[in-house]
Amino acid sequence: MDLEALPPDLYGRPQPDGFLRRMTAFAEWYDPMMGRPGLRRSPRRPGPRPTPPLQLVVTVHRSVAEDVVELRLADPGGSPLPAWQPGARIELTLPSGLVRHYSLCGDPADRSNYRIAVRHLPEGGGGSAEIHDRLHPGVRLTARRPRNGFAFCAEPAVLLLAGGIGITPLLPMARQAQHLGLDWRLVHVGRSAESMPFTEELRALDPSRVEFLTELTPAAELLARAPRGAAVYCCGPAPMLAAVQQAYDPAVTRALHFERFGAAPILNGQPFTVQLGEDGAQLTVPADRSALDVLREVRPGLPYSCHQGFCGTCKVGLISGTPVHRDRRLTEEDRAAGAFLPCVSRAAEGETLVLEV
Amino acid sequence: MPPRPVVPPAVHDSLVLEPRDVRFDWSQLPLHWIPDEPMATHTVNVLHLLLPEGERWFVEVFKDALPLITDDQLREEVLGFIGQEAIHAEAHQEVLDHLLGQGLDPRPYVRQVTWLFRRVLGKRPGLTPAQQRENLIERVAFVAAIEHFTAFLGNWALNSPGLDRAKADPTMLDLLRWHGAEEVEHRSVAFDLMVHLDPGYLRRLRGMLVSGPTLIHLWIRGVRFLLAADPSLNGSVRPTWREAQRIARRGLLPEPSRMARSALRYFRPGYHPTQEGSSSQALSYLAGSPAARAAAAG
Repeated sequence: MDLEALPPDLYGRPQPDGFLRRMTAFAEWYDPMMGRPGLRRSPRRPGPRPTPPLQLVVTVHRSVAEDVVELRLADPGGSPLPAWQPGARIELTLPSGLVRHYSLCGDPADRSNYRIAVRHLPEGGGGSAEIHDRLHPGVRLTARRPRNGFAFCAEPAVLLLAGGIGITPLLPMARQAQHLGLDWRLVHVGRSAESMPFTEELRALDPSRVEFLTELTPAAELLARAPRGAAVYCCGPAPMLAAVQQAYDPAVTRALHFERFGAAPILNGQPFTVQLGEDGAQLTVPADRSALDVLREVRPGLPYSCHQGFCGTCKVGLISGTPVHRDRRLTEEDRAAGAFLPCVSRAAEGETLVLEV
Repeated sequence: MPPRPVVPPAVHDSLVLEPRDVRFDWSQLPLHWIPDEPMATHTVNVLHLLLPEGERWFVEVFKDALPLITDDQLREEVLGFIGQEAIHAEAHQEVLDHLLGQGLDPRPYVRQVTWLFRRVLGKRPGLTPAQQRENLIERVAFVAAIEHFTAFLGNWALNSPGLDRAKADPTMLDLLRWHGAEEVEHRSVAFDLMVHLDPGYLRRLRGMLVSGPTLIHLWIRGVRFLLAADPSLNGSVRPTWREAQRIARRGLLPEPSRMARSALRYFRPGYHPTQEGSSSQALSYLAGSPAARAAAAG
């Protein structure tokens, strides 16, 4: 669009628009004033500071089910910890440097400690093994404040569906639902009774509202346990989430809540190379990581948002190379003009993409 | 069905913000999607004229502000906000394109809005780095004030049974409530960013004093323009305050007096956006929104 000449009048009268003319003149007067004393940010104020990480110490480490340990983490000086609500999770930096996220499964009213429960995953990256074997009482670690991507909205009727260790965020929800007198049900599916933690704690809330299943149960049957018009909260392994999504019927239940994790696993990825500008460094993008992840290591200020190729925030210009576009956002014209979304789009094995970053 | 109120209207701390993919089908949308209410329809339609350019400008301002943020959690919230605003802009753009297909040409107004957001509010050449930085913070303060209105409107959209009673188009209602719910969900981000970059009260004050009246004026102009440009009306409907009040009493628009009182609350020293609207209600709506579910189910 022409940004030199004022747009015409709205109703076709032969004069430039008066309102826009006044706004344009106002901005020309207003903008340069912003650096003046009294208008600028007061230099006497301290600059913006980051929130310091939480320092935590392990106070309890005990087995609560087969391959599941419960940890309680407290402030070393005994101060109350930041508040949280059901569904919140915490990011822990383990002594080895590994970073892991866990749902808080204690009582939000108890600010003296955070409780998490961790299943030992032999195929995992070593985080659960470290917690099981080395995080004994007295060990210190750092954490970020709890954040909530699975907030409990306390609808009048709720169904809580847990698969395996996915019970952890749902336990505080059940407690709050009972406390508020909601019409709630909880169904926990596990591979065996011994592998399911917190069964006694849940039964103690209201035995008629909780159910434990150890057989494979179709998602539609799980959803059939919902009170009419209930909101469903589901947390469990990916195949269970997908099955519940498929079987969800909006005519019977009003909402389906699940924790949102952003990036989906990369399917059929191949390693390729990105180059930072015409003369810049080359970086290898492994088959199981996104170009965005790799770029952010050297360009931490790069904007991004959805991780799934639909919002377009991470768009960068492509100077050369043949991309494999996997996004749902860019039009053919955008792509022809060299737009590229590094959060999902890739290239064939061995290809080098030269990007404007 | 309007979303039923939920208990309790709890303040949720530290929500993880992420954009939601949505799908809308506009092929069946009538020109007057609130039947027999052209002025109410077009008063809401001003959103489709303002938001695509306006929210793209929000995205540019917030992307520019990213390097100034020193707190990791705030940066993540701003990134979530950027993605949500980008999706909002595109969703409203689709409706704008549909209007043109129905014979209502919105381009004269959109051209002016584009000038406003790109030229008047765009980056000004010839400023010192310090002035550029201050202008960026000033723009964040404009966005924070506008976000106070969008949260107010979003909260109203979530609690507007009058629109259901008037048999408003269900897809448009879902767009308004999905968008409104995300505005309620992320209502603190712009304000928190402004306070992070400049906690001074004068900054907040100027943000509202400049953008509040401008927004209201743009809205009134937009209603007048759309009613004049509507090919089915031949200029027979003129916007008046009396008509606006009748529509508000029918529950099709927020009461102007409630909106004015809400704007005044922004000036209270202890104001924080979490005091307006309910995250629980917004998140509950989003977990059932047909457009969000359509995209989630693939």
